[in-house]
Amino acid sequence: MASYPQSRRNPVSRRNFLRLAGMAGGGALLASCAPKATPTQKPTEPAVEAAPTEPPPAQEKLSLSFWTPGGSDVFCKGFGTIAEEYEKLTPNIDIGEAQCNPSGENFNEMLMANIAAATPPDTTIIWTSPAAFAARGALEALDDLMAVSKYSQLENWPAGVLASCQYRGKTYGLPATAGTYAIFYNQEMFEAKGIPSDRESFPKTWDEMRRLSKEFVKWDGDVLQSAGYIPWGIPGDTFSSAVEFAFWSAVNGSQLFDAKNLKYTIDSEQNIYTMQYALDWWDEQYKGDLTKVRTSANWGGYSDGEGRPPAFQENKLAMQTNGYWFTTDMYAVEMKFERWDVASVPVGPNGKKTASGYWPNWLVIPKGTKHVTEAFAYLDYMTVDGIKIWYNNIPDLPANKKTDPNLVPKTVVEKRGQELAASINTFFHQQLDVATPMWDSPVQDFFLDQLSRAIEQILGRAASPKDALGEAQKACQAELDKVLSS
Amino acid sequence: MLARNLPWLTMSKLKRREAVAGYVFILPWLISLLVFTLYPIITTLYLSFTNYTVVQPPVWVGLENYQTIFFNDPSIKPSVYNSVYYTLLSVPVGLILSLLLALVLNMRATGIGVYRTLFYLPSLVPPVAATIVFTVLFEARSGLINSFIRSFGLPAPAWFADPNWSKPGLVIMSLWGIGAQTLIFLAGLQDIPKSLLEAAEIDGANGAQKLWYITLPLLSNVILFNLVMNVIGSFQVFTQAVVIGGTTGNPMESTLMFMVHIYRNAFRYFKMGYASALSVLLFVVVMVVTLLIFRSARLWVFAEKDENA
Amino acid sequence: MQINEVPYSDNSPSLSKQIASVARHLILIGVTLLFLLPFYWMIISALKPNEMVFSDPVQWFPNPIRWENFAEAFNYPGFPFLRFLWNSTFYSTLVTVGTVISCAAVGYGFASLRFPGRNFLFTLTVANLMIPGVVTFIPIFLLFKSLGMLGSYTPLILPSFFGNAFFIFMMRQFFLTMPSELADAARVDGANEFVIFWRVMLPLVQPALIVMAVFTFLWTWHDFFGPLVYLNDQSSYPLSLGLFAFRNRRTTEWGLLMAGATLTTLPLMVLFFFAQRYFIEGIKVTGLKV
Repeated sequence: MASYPQSRRNPVSRRNFLRLAGMAGGGALLASCAPKATPTQKPTEPAVEAAPTEPPPAQEKLSLSFWTPGGSDVFCKGFGTIAEEYEKLTPNIDIGEAQCNPSGENFNEMLMANIAAATPPDTTIIWTSPAAFAARGALEALDDLMAVSKYSQLENWPAGVLASCQYRGKTYGLPATAGTYAIFYNQEMFEAKGIPSDRESFPKTWDEMRRLSKEFVKWDGDVLQSAGYIPWGIPGDTFSSAVEFAFWSAVNGSQLFDAKNLKYTIDSEQNIYTMQYALDWWDEQYKGDLTKVRTSANWGGYSDGEGRPPAFQENKLAMQTNGYWFTTDMYAVEMKFERWDVASVPVGPNGKKTASGYWPNWLVIPKGTKHVTEAFAYLDYMTVDGIKIWYNNIPDLPANKKTDPNLVPKTVVEKRGQELAASINTFFHQQLDVATPMWDSPVQDFFLDQLSRAIEQILGRAASPKDALGEAQKACQAELDKVLSS
Repeated sequence: MLARNLPWLTMSKLKRREAVAGYVFILPWLISLLVFTLYPIITTLYLSFTNYTVVQPPVWVGLENYQTIFFNDPSIKPSVYNSVYYTLLSVPVGLILSLLLALVLNMRATGIGVYRTLFYLPSLVPPVAATIVFTVLFEARSGLINSFIRSFGLPAPAWFADPNWSKPGLVIMSLWGIGAQTLIFLAGLQDIPKSLLEAAEIDGANGAQKLWYITLPLLSNVILFNLVMNVIGSFQVFTQAVVIGGTTGNPMESTLMFMVHIYRNAFRYFKMGYASALSVLLFVVVMVVTLLIFRSARLWVFAEKDENA
Repeated sequence: MQINEVPYSDNSPSLSKQIASVARHLILIGVTLLFLLPFYWMIISALKPNEMVFSDPVQWFPNPIRWENFAEAFNYPGFPFLRFLWNSTFYSTLVTVGTVISCAAVGYGFASLRFPGRNFLFTLTVANLMIPGVVTFIPIFLLFKSLGMLGSYTPLILPSFFGNAFFIFMMRQFFLTMPSELADAARVDGANEFVIFWRVMLPLVQPALIVMAVFTFLWTWHDFFGPLVYLNDQSSYPLSLGLFAFRNRRTTEWGLLMAGATLTTLPLMVLFFFAQRYFIEGIKVTGLKV
């Protein structure tokens, strides 16, 4: 609804942004994204390119369809370019035009429906973990193909990230990208208050960060004019909060899911404390009122459903957690300041060291496709060769170890200079080393729904952290046991 | 079965031919009863005892799904609460308002037909479109309704953005479409013999007395009809809730209707077994409530037999 | 009971009667305006530039009028309105044809022909009215899935050719009120039951057929759940679902969205305009509900 973030409905806020951003972009380009009646049709070039140099189709040409859960025109068009390059290498393969969420609804539901109906795409990107799809028997296992592939051997992937694709000892997807998380902060706001703005001086503990946050909080009646950091994550976007809660839990010495013992630990002492800490923070600095904060401004980093500009770019929010993709995404709207940097996630009272998280673009092959081998070859190509084009359009951290480590987002270079861009880039790469596993559960999507529900209840003061997390724990463990027993 | 076949054997040729024709005429419906009613009901019941993700075959799990409903699903309580809340509010308010409107439309006035037509117009708007229009009207900061409320210096709720106001918002929205129900009442009102009302008038009954002692009793079977239909409909409200709150019932599960919860389990998690168990539960509840209403109807529905006696 | 003499005047309207008449009209106009307000708001918002939809102070007339919203809604690649319009028309028409044919036949069977088990089957039919759709939709979905028909209109249209309880009930009641003399006469002449049904009885119940057609069309046009469950590809969406998808994609474009809502409603308004009599009479006669 109107003042409710769109991202909750289609749960992925940044991806959602990509869509909105794309809509704002040139209408002509959208043609390349437009859904078509027959997904296996030959790709039609966007009008603006006007390069009809297509060779006549050979008789034995094999068509592969490719879907993505959504995305801007830039994102979608990028896949057209990757496909073109690939077709040059393999003249017998024809990659269909990327279908950017053909239904305009929840992509996972639509994909499952198509798999159930035996009309799946040959290949698709998904934005929630393959493990959960695999547990429902919806994906092809890729291990045999990976073993003999060009780039995708098991050892070429960070083990922690690859775990998100594994279920009962088999691998069901390739985490093409694994953008990590960090705290983005506005150096100019810091300096205006005489606070050192270099990365090393950024708060190392929650208490320090909370004190710092208070410096920036300014209320005008019931309208929050400016804020420091709003815990944990974007107010109202509880799905993102649920995703990010994994590393907030980790920096406070706990976890949400124990993959080894297949036990959820959502309501651990530390996690309850972590939520209680957020509540105290809210009470101290944000009147404890989710609705007031939410209606005051858009705290999300992207233009929201009401067209409000994001507070961070508006110079009104000093710090926020976000992923690697945001280094480029933030420039999609007008920036009211220039200088920003990124820092590690501060450590909680029960924690010992910092942690990060990641949110991949997973490449998978749905069950029921007829051309598994050919589809996989294309995905394999995409993870290392194709990713360069992808990166050029929408920079996201490539996960395969054979990718070029010197890829730096060109927008950041333009805006902040080569040196800083490289430093930021390196920082995000290092964040992967401290990333906590967070997509490994066979009931991941169910769990994220339950956790975001709990967070909503807690911040909306409808339930205590203990009760809400306890309820989520019970539901998720029961669901997990059910899936594992069948 | 043999006994049933007996009349068949004793039938005349003509009657037999008529019977054959009768079966041919109702054949499509016979198939429909079997394929689209009987088979699905049995299957739903069966599936409710299984784990079924569509892609893999169903696995028998006994009462597990029902256990989950009662002990392990945090969204059950809010979804039941929301559906009951919505039903308890929208059905009586809708009935009373449509009855009042019908009384208004039953007045003798020139051009009354035009008014009746206009009242029906909103019922034409597809629910999705109507809901989208109301999200604009109810927009928290500068929607028409809140601008109106604020013009009196009153605090305006955030409606669909506020968990406490989203359901009242849904109810108000449902009232917009009472035109059809109003026309049914209107038809009922017009069936009331004028002579009866005139007789009462002569007896010195005032308007309220006429309404209470004559109009309402004679309308009670229409009220019963509308009541039952509305209750069945309200328990299954889906489109409006999904357009406003998605499958998670934003904000704060306040628009998570039971039907939405079923849909979410069936098509978001592809837990067909669990969704079937939820369907069975809803089915039982709707049946029980309907029966209770029919039972209670003996007390308040005016039976025409008495009138003739 | 005491009998009071009520002053009774039947002559030319007195002043008080005129006042009462004016008051009645004021009430009627007031309530009507309230009811039409969302309607009006939908249409004028569809003619406003986006930033004026939520303007302060409230803008009652679009100024300037922005017809382009409609043109854009028509041409917007993610919302191929003409395609949706065609889908909705196709879907609603076929369901209407199926329902009218099957329900008329079945209703006639129940009303006019005697066969063993008739009462039992008719009782089942009435009971069917009370069964919430929710208890059958999952197996029906799975049934069509196993037939490989998901993602098409078949699951949405096919069942209508087998009748539905509501209209069968209605048609039976209608046929019962028809005089049987004509049919009997035809029977004596040796006409078979199908000829009697087709040539003699159907023309008699034409108004009921139109009522049934009009409402089936309306309800199918409104249907959201069915297409949501069965259709996967946006280009095959009917208007109601297309509008929903459009809303999900373009949340900030309120003017366009309202244009979409208006366009989704418009064909029904046209239908209503032509079939008004059947709508209103249909509701009154049969107790139909929307």
